[in-house]
Amino acid sequence: MKKIKAITGTKWFSSFLWIVLLIIAWEVGAMVVAATKRTPENILPHLYQIIAAAFSGKKVTGDMTAVQAVLSSAGLTLIRALLGFIIGAVIGFLFALLMKMSGMVEKILFPYLMLIQLIPVLGIAPIILAITGDINISRVIIAAILSFYPVAANTLAGFKSVEQEKYDLMFIYAAKRRSLYTKVLIPASLPYLFTGFKIAAPMAVTASILVDTLQGDGGLGCLLSQSLKHAMSIHVFWLIVFFSAFLGIVISKVIGLIEVGIAPWRRRV
Amino acid sequence: MEREVRLQKIGRRKTLRQRAKENRKWQKASTIVLPVILGVILVGLWQGQVLHGWFHTDTFTLPLLDKIGGIMFDIKDKILINTLSTVSVAFIGLLVGSLLGYLVAVLAAMFPKIGMGGLSVIGAFASIPVVALAPVLNNWTKDVSSQASIRSMVSKIIVVTLICAADMGLNAYRGLTEIKPFSEDLMAIYAAPKRTVLWKLRLPNSLPYVFTALKVSVPASIMTAIVSEYFAEYITGVGRQIRENIVLAQYSTAWAYIATACLIGVISYVILMALQSILLRRYH
Repeated sequence: MKKIKAITGTKWFSSFLWIVLLIIAWEVGAMVVAATKRTPENILPHLYQIIAAAFSGKKVTGDMTAVQAVLSSAGLTLIRALLGFIIGAVIGFLFALLMKMSGMVEKILFPYLMLIQLIPVLGIAPIILAITGDINISRVIIAAILSFYPVAANTLAGFKSVEQEKYDLMFIYAAKRRSLYTKVLIPASLPYLFTGFKIAAPMAVTASILVDTLQGDGGLGCLLSQSLKHAMSIHVFWLIVFFSAFLGIVISKVIGLIEVGIAPWRRRV
Repeated sequence: MEREVRLQKIGRRKTLRQRAKENRKWQKASTIVLPVILGVILVGLWQGQVLHGWFHTDTFTLPLLDKIGGIMFDIKDKILINTLSTVSVAFIGLLVGSLLGYLVAVLAAMFPKIGMGGLSVIGAFASIPVVALAPVLNNWTKDVSSQASIRSMVSKIIVVTLICAADMGLNAYRGLTEIKPFSEDLMAIYAAPKRTVLWKLRLPNSLPYVFTALKVSVPASIMTAIVSEYFAEYITGVGRQIRENIVLAQYSTAWAYIATACLIGVISYVILMALQSILLRRYH
């Protein structure tokens, strides 16, 4: 009895319980759908059907099985998202640094930062494609714009979170401006920077998938729209849905791990 | 007093920069004046077709601002219909999602053992890309109504709801549980029942966190509504019009809708800020 209590008391148990509940709900739904609908696999296939589709050796495209197709296009999507994310994050960090260094720059740019956040960037994805004319460049640009704002805004908040006492201490040490930044401000902003990363990374992936759907050039989004139009088994569509959900969750976990590595003082009990 | 005056007389004249820094009036004015100057420069670059040179594009894909404004005026009836469709999807989704998220947060705060897991599952929903959710819900809502306009609206609303619920749930939970320790002790001393603690302490404490969540989820709800329009069955909404017009190579019309989308974003944010300053007055 005690053992059971110890297990149910752990943190992951309630998550586990919820996931089991969700799976049960899904399966019940799938059974109802299978009994009433003509094409149940379009609406709610059984989970085992999706898993079976993932491991079956049947070719869905010219020479690839379902898993191969999904993974290879996911690789394409991820690399493009990562490139955009890195560019956006670096520019965002530099902007935050610039805005911290000069109050005037902050005053000029901050309202525009807010504006960028309010513009539905994914909505203007097609026009960016029209301007650049190249799907890969526009994908990187959109991912960069989307990652730029959370990183810049959070880093700036991090710079501003430094208490006056720390500035005073550095002043007493007669520290140079440079060491004020490298020793105090940048380390203090790291947790905030990672909060920004955690928001930005899933957005970059979403952006990359969305741009894929605009023009066929490989990538998850492209595969998604193809399978939706029944160009291949509909189970591929479900695989992509689950895989992209999985990607989104894993990415924020990975960034959390990197954060623990780089900023160990953030480690929680 | 006298000494101060003398010191200033002896001291060197301050540099212009120093004086600007100390002049409060200039400081206040500059927060408005400087961004406006940048804005004017940007508009000038756009109208003067300098931007077109930088991006290697022409006035066909990147029309001049006055032309975009003119088109917006010309098709204002159509824009209004599409705006209404997008805004109603975003707003209903935001409302339902926020209420749902808040409810889950309250449940999680009251029964932490089961609730915490539910919250982390909801958090996982937040990381699911909209592009994956939208087509699934399109399929699920096929039976809601025989009319394509209604069923695609329902599916869009559900997508927005899920995204907003995740955001609100996580933030509201923090607001309901991150309470100053002494106030929790005080409630314990009063022997207050759980319900009173919830009403008198937890709910008021969570209000600022609700606005933190809304600041993210209001722009996110509009963005989500626009993206889910791309996948919807029925052709309506600002986002869908952007895409449709680009497919037809009518870039200036597309730009008019882009401008509309930006306006929706800005106006909704201003409304949120106004609401916040009214409702949170006693917290400041």
